[in-house]
Amino acid sequence: MRFEGIGVPWEIATAEPLDERVQNAILQRVADYDRTWSRFRADSLVARIGREPGQWRLPAEAGPLLELYRELYEATGGRMNPLVGASLARLGYGAGMSLKATGDALPAVRWEDAIAWDGVVLSAPRPVSIDVGAAGKGQLCDLVGEVLRAHGVEEFVVDASGDILRRGAGTIRVALEHPADPRLAVGVVELGDGAICASATNRRAWGDGLHHVIDALTGLPVDDIVATWAIGADAMTADGVATALFMTSGTRLPSGLGVEWARISSSGRIEVSAGFPGEVFA
Amino acid sequence: MPMPNRTAVIAFSGLSAVGLLAGCAPAATESVTPTTDTATVEPTTGSTSESVSTPVPLADEATVDSGFADGTYTADGSYVAPSGPETISVTVTLADGTIAAVEVTGHATDPQAKRHQADFIGGIAAVVVGQPIEGLSVDRVAGSSLTGQGFNAALDAIRAEADA
Repeated sequence: MRFEGIGVPWEIATAEPLDERVQNAILQRVADYDRTWSRFRADSLVARIGREPGQWRLPAEAGPLLELYRELYEATGGRMNPLVGASLARLGYGAGMSLKATGDALPAVRWEDAIAWDGVVLSAPRPVSIDVGAAGKGQLCDLVGEVLRAHGVEEFVVDASGDILRRGAGTIRVALEHPADPRLAVGVVELGDGAICASATNRRAWGDGLHHVIDALTGLPVDDIVATWAIGADAMTADGVATALFMTSGTRLPSGLGVEWARISSSGRIEVSAGFPGEVFA
Repeated sequence: MPMPNRTAVIAFSGLSAVGLLAGCAPAATESVTPTTDTATVEPTTGSTSESVSTPVPLADEATVDSGFADGTYTADGSYVAPSGPETISVTVTLADGTIAAVEVTGHATDPQAKRHQADFIGGIAAVVVGQPIEGLSVDRVAGSSLTGQGFNAALDAIRAEADA
């Protein structure tokens, strides 16, 4: 099954073709997620939160998502922050997608100053621009996986353009894309039951050092790391860690996240975690 | 994985260091002539240092004898460029007996040699080894090669505007 969701192509591989009922349930789940979290549509919940102050009851997936964000916010000393929406928009990556900077870099507001989150209700005394791009796609892989399991599909691969969730026995081989040339791989991992997520600054880049991975403290794109990979039990955690690795070494992330990782710096430094289940051609 | 907490110094042979470069940047190897027995070493951090003459294996799957402590090791490797001797620094981070990180820095003074070093240090494409995905027989690719249609559309619009 292939479809376009949250702005990127998806592919779901299963042993048997998915019947229409399951396909519709998946598309519905993806559409619901987009309607809540998309920064690129005016009718989304986060777009409203960006316009109006208030108290917002968020859908159930917000619990684990914001909990992970909070953990990574603290582990990166505030450099990874879901409140970078305004910073991205300032650089041209907002709802209008002008891809043109409209002024000086805008650091994100600090989490503790801007929002309070009690697990159910988000309080924002002033409008605040939330961007869950760092872990949202991974979480949506997990949520699509839950839909599949709810319909009795136990073995599958959900591939959301490079963020991959796999459930089932055995392993598959996954190439790690070269940050400068998508025809090349810089490594190969064996993925069993779990997820691998990648992030690279060469894509979703719009010239002159502008790309989508933003240091919340400066409001500027990070420039010392060019590509990261994280492997974990679920795609949300792996996706979030893949972004956090632009801000800090994996050795400084909470071990409770249970993630293996690799990253490449702009000077060619390659770091690989001790238990990385694969090979990097360094 | 704990942060490396011990520092020691390992003398690479010049050959090992250049071997790494050859592995990392095939395109740059013409400018690198291996020499042996010319490594000079400096500690990167800490005050304790010890010299070990065994070269550290630098292959990607290399494991290190249990005699090697976790830590960050830096060694300079020399080679003779057409303009004369040049050096590069290779920093290796060992953790749990395996190489967790490798970093190469150039110290060329000759402009030509400097450019050669910059070619593989500055350009990630030259520094990072790549193998054609086609030949690897993999099932999937983890990367960000597929960019959203909206993003691509915006880029197209900008290109059109820039052409006008």
